[in-house]
Amino acid sequence: MSEPLALPRVSPAGKDTDKNEDMEPGRAGAGKRVVTQRGGQRGQRGGQRGQRGRVLRRLLVHVSVVIIGLAMFLPFYWILSASVMTYEEVTAIPPRWWPADPQWGNYTAVLRDPNVPLFKYFKNSFLVSTAVTVAVLLTSSLAGYALSKLKFPGRDAIFTFTLSTMMFPVFLFLIPVYYILKRFPLLGGNDILGMGGTGALQSYVALIIPFVVSAWGIFLMRQFMMTIPDELIDAARIDGASDLGIFGMVVTPLVKPALATLAIFTFIGQWNYFLWPMIVTTSAPHLMTVPVGLRLIGTAYSTAVNMNKLLAATVMAIAPSVCVFLALQRYYIKGFVLSGFK
Amino acid sequence: MSPGAASARRRLLKRTLTGYLFLSPALVFYLVFLVIPIGMSLYISFRDWNMLVPLTSSRFVGLKNYTYLLTRDELFLIAVKNTIIYATGTVFVGMVLALGIAILLLRVRGATFWRFVMFAPVVTPSVAVARIWGGLYRPAEGLANAILRMVHLPPQQWLADPNICLYSIMLIAIWGGIGATVIVFTAGLKGIPDVYYDAAKLDGAGPWAEFKHITIPMLKPTILFLSVTGLIGAWQAFDLIFMLAVGGTEAGTSPVRSVIVLALYLYQMAFKNLRMGRACAGAFLLFLIVLGFSFIVLKVLRKGGVESYE
Repeated sequence: MSEPLALPRVSPAGKDTDKNEDMEPGRAGAGKRVVTQRGGQRGQRGGQRGQRGRVLRRLLVHVSVVIIGLAMFLPFYWILSASVMTYEEVTAIPPRWWPADPQWGNYTAVLRDPNVPLFKYFKNSFLVSTAVTVAVLLTSSLAGYALSKLKFPGRDAIFTFTLSTMMFPVFLFLIPVYYILKRFPLLGGNDILGMGGTGALQSYVALIIPFVVSAWGIFLMRQFMMTIPDELIDAARIDGASDLGIFGMVVTPLVKPALATLAIFTFIGQWNYFLWPMIVTTSAPHLMTVPVGLRLIGTAYSTAVNMNKLLAATVMAIAPSVCVFLALQRYYIKGFVLSGFK
Repeated sequence: MSPGAASARRRLLKRTLTGYLFLSPALVFYLVFLVIPIGMSLYISFRDWNMLVPLTSSRFVGLKNYTYLLTRDELFLIAVKNTIIYATGTVFVGMVLALGIAILLLRVRGATFWRFVMFAPVVTPSVAVARIWGGLYRPAEGLANAILRMVHLPPQQWLADPNICLYSIMLIAIWGGIGATVIVFTAGLKGIPDVYYDAAKLDGAGPWAEFKHITIPMLKPTILFLSVTGLIGAWQAFDLIFMLAVGGTEAGTSPVRSVIVLALYLYQMAFKNLRMGRACAGAFLLFLIVLGFSFIVLKVLRKGGVESYE
């Protein structure tokens, strides 16, 4: 925050006692602040009309929140209900809002269908996302430590460069990286000059390695490690700890929350990522991840005859990321907030 | 040289070495997957290459790829226009809506729950989002038109009408991203000290004056951050448009010319037409747009006194 506003000298008593008690979104307590404040002001002016206006206003706010919330949820409601409808119900005109008799069989039919290898997609996605997450945690915290706790020439230039890489459109890299992976020496039947085979393209390497460093991750870890007092590190150094020891035993345990945030962020982001896995797996269908597979299921289950099953498959594809989010939302939402503030 | 200076130099050398050792994974990665590819992209953008032959045996064509895109290919210019509409529209409309929702949510009980609901689309895979909305947007069987009929509005050809299909997809993108924006705005709003509002009330300011003279100026860093990062993402939007116009089950319903954006254009140029030179030239032009608009946003928003924000 940087607004150079002068602080007002007068502040009504009792109004700001609990201000900023919670900078973190996602706790209802802090939300009451504005209401009580407004209420207090009106209340002082007194009168039944003010009272009624206040109630009316609050009602209006609540009603609009509920309407917006329901509208936001409607697409999810539709796919959940349509995934247990019969085909006739999904395609009924006018549309049905709920199934007459829930067809849970849609789900088992998808899981049994040999043309829809959902489990293979899940396995691939899980493998790729986990590997990328572990790598990003490692590279980000190592780099974050150097950029925050070590002083050496070139450090600030590297940090600025890291930030600026977020500006580059992914399309500047797609073609060269594809080519580099294809010409990767000694992999996939390539010779030492990278000729003759498919290189790294037909393996998990192609899905993992272009993502093992994240500029955002480095930024996040650096910002977090900046808050660790230097005295702590100096003390460890006087006790004879090496930089690797300080990194592993002093700094890393202190930034666990940030690591958790970064892990969930990276995992879900990678799980949902579509463009690169699609490009790579066009020639390597055995590597297909969930989003790519989900697109393919659309062609296996043509909309015309199997829309209900297609929707059931889609629900199952959505489930993991939404569940991870629900279970760990504290860390995930923190990541969004942190990315906005230094 | 004194022994003190020598040992200081040795320590500096050791510190430098340690620093670069810690940075080495990132630096090697940047070299192989960032610096070299950008150099290669620039090189490819001056050549005629189809990826099937080694890059070195491609033909040098000078600036032809660039002049082709800018003067001879109507579709590229349409894509530029659509991208600008799509990116600025989704980001700024999304931000206005999100700010309104964030303010409303600060005034209700159970706001946490509603923030959950609004955040769920953010973590949903875009392919699934496209499928859900493809279903909702069906002309006869979809709920979107059912709702329009309920309030006595004419039903729409959401994805097939060339005049509105881009906006239909933008609506999906706003739905998919608004939860994150709400969260960031909420944090920004909670960071504004109450004393400002209290002082404004003592001065007799109404809600609108409070909003205009306290909320908006205090949120400028948040707005700056959201516009810059939002736009960088939105310039490259691909998944939804690809799924709904070209590659999904609803493929073909949307007229490609009315929804094509730069990312989709570049994808098709590279991986369907195998014109790598043109695709790389287009990627650099996209980069110029990203830089230019980020610069404009910084200029406009910094005027209000957020110089210290980076």
